[in-house]
Amino acid sequence: MAYDNRNFIQKLFKMPTREEKQAAREATPEYQAINTAGMTLTIKDRAKNADQLAKAQKIGRILFLVLVYAFLAFMAVIVLFPFYWMIITSLKSTTEIRALQQTFFPTNVLWSNYITVFNSFDFGTYVGNTLVVGIISTLGTLLTTIFSAFAFARLNFKGREALFGILLATMMIPGEMMVITNYITVSRLPWYEFGVGVVDGWLQYKDAVFASMIVPFWVSVFYIYLLRQNFKQIPNELYLAAKVDGKSDWQYLWKVMVPLASPTLISIFILKLMGTWNSYVWPNLVTTNNEEWRLVTNALRGSFTNSSGEPQYGIQMAATILVTTPLLLLFIFFRKYIMRGVGRAGIKG
Amino acid sequence: MAAENTPVNESKKTNPIKDFFGNLFKPKERVSADAGEKNNWKAWLYLAPTIILLSVFTFYPLVNTIFIAFLKNYDYVTQSHEGFTFDNFGVVLGLLGKGVGGAMIPRWQCIGFESEGALGYYLDAAGQQQNAYFTMDVIRYAFPNTLIITFITVPVSIIIALLISIGLNSIPAFQKMFQTIFFIPYVTNAIAVGMVFAVLFDYKGIINYLFQLGNLTWIDQGAPTWRAMIALCVYIVWHSLPYKILIFLSGLQNIDKQYYDAAKIDSAGGFKTMMNVTVPLLSPQILYIMITSFIGAFKEYTSVVGLFGKSSTDGGGTNNLYTVVYYIYDQVKGNVQYGAAAAVLLFIVILIFTAIQFKVSKKRVHY
Amino acid sequence: MEIRIKDLTKIFPGNPKKGIPDTHAVDKLNITIPDGQLVGLLGPSGCGKSTTLYMVSGLLEPTDGEIWFGDEDVTDLEPEKRGIGLVFQNYALYPHMTVYKNVAFPLTNLRLEEPVLGPDGKQRLDVDGKPEYKKRKLTKDEIDKIVRETARIVQIEPYLERKPSQLSGGQQQRVAIARALVKKPKVLLLDEPLSNLDARLRLQTREEIRHIQQSTGITTIFVTHDQEEAMSISDKIVVMKLGIKQQEGVPQDVYNDPCNKFVANFLGTPPINLFKGRIVDHKVYVGDDCVRVITPEEVENAAKLGRDLSDQEVTVGIRPEGIVIGGTEPDHFHFKVERILTMGRDIMLVSDHGEKLSDTKFVIDAFTKVSVGEVACSVKPHKCFAFSLADGEPRLI
Repeated sequence: MAYDNRNFIQKLFKMPTREEKQAAREATPEYQAINTAGMTLTIKDRAKNADQLAKAQKIGRILFLVLVYAFLAFMAVIVLFPFYWMIITSLKSTTEIRALQQTFFPTNVLWSNYITVFNSFDFGTYVGNTLVVGIISTLGTLLTTIFSAFAFARLNFKGREALFGILLATMMIPGEMMVITNYITVSRLPWYEFGVGVVDGWLQYKDAVFASMIVPFWVSVFYIYLLRQNFKQIPNELYLAAKVDGKSDWQYLWKVMVPLASPTLISIFILKLMGTWNSYVWPNLVTTNNEEWRLVTNALRGSFTNSSGEPQYGIQMAATILVTTPLLLLFIFFRKYIMRGVGRAGIKG
Repeated sequence: MAAENTPVNESKKTNPIKDFFGNLFKPKERVSADAGEKNNWKAWLYLAPTIILLSVFTFYPLVNTIFIAFLKNYDYVTQSHEGFTFDNFGVVLGLLGKGVGGAMIPRWQCIGFESEGALGYYLDAAGQQQNAYFTMDVIRYAFPNTLIITFITVPVSIIIALLISIGLNSIPAFQKMFQTIFFIPYVTNAIAVGMVFAVLFDYKGIINYLFQLGNLTWIDQGAPTWRAMIALCVYIVWHSLPYKILIFLSGLQNIDKQYYDAAKIDSAGGFKTMMNVTVPLLSPQILYIMITSFIGAFKEYTSVVGLFGKSSTDGGGTNNLYTVVYYIYDQVKGNVQYGAAAAVLLFIVILIFTAIQFKVSKKRVHY
Repeated sequence: MEIRIKDLTKIFPGNPKKGIPDTHAVDKLNITIPDGQLVGLLGPSGCGKSTTLYMVSGLLEPTDGEIWFGDEDVTDLEPEKRGIGLVFQNYALYPHMTVYKNVAFPLTNLRLEEPVLGPDGKQRLDVDGKPEYKKRKLTKDEIDKIVRETARIVQIEPYLERKPSQLSGGQQQRVAIARALVKKPKVLLLDEPLSNLDARLRLQTREEIRHIQQSTGITTIFVTHDQEEAMSISDKIVVMKLGIKQQEGVPQDVYNDPCNKFVANFLGTPPINLFKGRIVDHKVYVGDDCVRVITPEEVENAAKLGRDLSDQEVTVGIRPEGIVIGGTEPDHFHFKVERILTMGRDIMLVSDHGEKLSDTKFVIDAFTKVSVGEVACSVKPHKCFAFSLADGEPRLI
């Protein structure tokens, strides 16, 4: 009757079963001497009367809250401090930044760092590049995501669950596995130029470089998963009603499902755009032939060191603020969508 | 706290984490039949863009990279190679060195070493002493650094994120404000903020000033690796907190309040309730965060670039904060086969870690 | 331990902006629960019975009033400090702990109080001259023994190593009781403990609860909306409606002597039959039928209680078991039988009456001969009540 719950190692070494251990324990004189009936159990800090206890716990409660708030405030300061330092450093002169006596507010506010950034750093071009790449790849991602999520959520076909499982499994593969071959792919593909014929590899041409920053990122399994979950929550009755009304799958998708899932789609749109803005590795690889084609993040790093290799922190921070501010503005306006989207998925890739 | 900016409401119906892993590991699980009739060809049409793109940019590269990892002297421009070999893994791990005429010399055949093991001496067939050059980047820098980053930042950030989330969950006011503040690092550019941290950790920077450390170098040329590592870990933890807090907080808000009532009735104190009720009931979220952040830490790269810039790590031969992924990217335009071999090794390590974590936490996660 | 509840009030604040008024969940409640008794708090949902229980447990803070355990005012005490046992409606067993750990968990938080013995082997006295005690944690063996003994009482021994999700509802319920009992509380609170069980298990479990309560002698408050459940196991019941106590007393007394229409209607299955009626000349009429004659003693009694028995319109209530068909007395009450339901021991007459205010059902002895159609009967006087139409519908007779 006793169920043997030992694992194989315990069986191998003939360790006692739980029942045997319990029996052995109960057989000890110490165990048998315990008189449970005569026990008086009290709470840990039972003081003389309830009044004192009530007072003590009130104080304890306040103390606890003070501690928690202090901890959270402290952590908040740590979290926000780099931003503060970024702002004030961007307004300081290099001498003041490097001064022995660090100042928590610039002694004289220096806007010239920003002017230097705009003069020496082609901010407009990089932002333009980033927006073109970001918007085209985001729109493409939205299309493939909507189509696939619809197929996985609504259509019946052979191998649906298996295929979805394979897709999810690809998320476990580190992107580094792909980067190597993908780089070979885009750098070896010949670019056909009309009038000239087949010429050099892709990466010699601006359009081709942009295409290689866009096309490989048109599919995001994570967003497909996200949207599929959302689509699945839309009740079946709506689909049946649409069928009765003579709507095709295509119409149903665009007239019913997409509008209903629009919060998720907005989340995906913003997160994907932010992802492009922040992407570094891949653009860095494919734009080596021409710095003009870079995205903001690539351009940012490695710029602004003077001839001796000393970084010019004031100018660097001014540029950093220019890169960070659009993100923070997006966050302020779309906080709800961003936090919901991230909470359910996280930026991927 | 208003639920609109967290996934609380949705996840009450479907737990995305549970669902995610459920789907991942049980792909055959039947999903309830839908109303749609069997329309195979239509479905494949909808899926065509995804499948084509995935095939070209995910499935093919996966296979091809593994393939390249076994090619001898692969040239990605001409796509030529000299047959199959296991040597690439040996080279990446510093076990095989390049001798005269490109001969592969195993480490154990060398009679002496110099330059921290990067240069070995061996006797050729004629009994002449020859040089063999070993790649020590991975075994000496990238691999240990990656492990240190992983095993410091993951536990530290999880514990801090847990404390903050539990604190956030127990305050009566300002919860939303704090939540927003703690989320801000997430919406920043890893490179940009890395540069800000470089300013903070400058030898004439605010960190040294605040803690009265003099002109201690953290990230500049010549700084000892362990101090650079501290700066890097601080930055990684700072940058990885928001996501963890978000997930933990929504998990906490999903815990039935009744368990806390029960703990009160059972006379459990605050700390005991946290350890015996809160943390176990949050275990699905903790597992999810553990796996994702372990994988993330193994692939740390942009934080290194952001904080140190490209020049200060691989310049001067110091390589002080080389990571595995850093090595891989360095090989993309050169010795592709070594990069591929390292990527395969990374993939295997990640798979093993994920599997172990699943196995270990199967008993601990109660759902 | 005696529990005294004084003027207990709970107001859930509304939202004046949205025009939601304050909710008076419990209003000036006074109850005294003698030591060792089982008291049932009874009422329809929303009557404030659970709110009362949660205030006694400390999980809800009262707006006003006091709660006394013995000679201690515990009103401001946190639940952790009250040392009570509480069984939640859906049990709230920790899903990640085994049954054993669930039951043992309270013990790990408590301390064992032991007398401090002097060198002479007698208990030492402290500076105030009171007997001195010392406290210590329980050992693993002690916890084990208590857990196993408690598990034996509630018969969950075979399931100790399982997780709550692997148990049936009835087993979970017993684990919840074990968790509440294990710390030997002086007060046990049960919040609708049987509502998640099926009918048969409910009967069995309520007997077990009664048995455990009697053998341990713990003062117990039992909240339920099921009047049958409350009446069958309580020493005393308290009937509540919209936060206000209607009546309290021994179940049978409350049943026999309800103070108003609500209590009379709430107690008993099938519920009391209500008709439009009137009192004329100290006789109670339903339609043209006189169902009850008020005796001079009753008139005298009513006068003492301040009840007005003058001629007036009333609501007449007749308990389902309150009629005798074909009795020797002259037939007074006529009604129409529509269907006859055989229930074994009894038969139920589903009936109709022109003056009815509720479904009309009567229960009579199975050997009585009766057929569908017009029936005449006599009404047992103590099963027939008259309620005023005034505010609160108090009982007149």
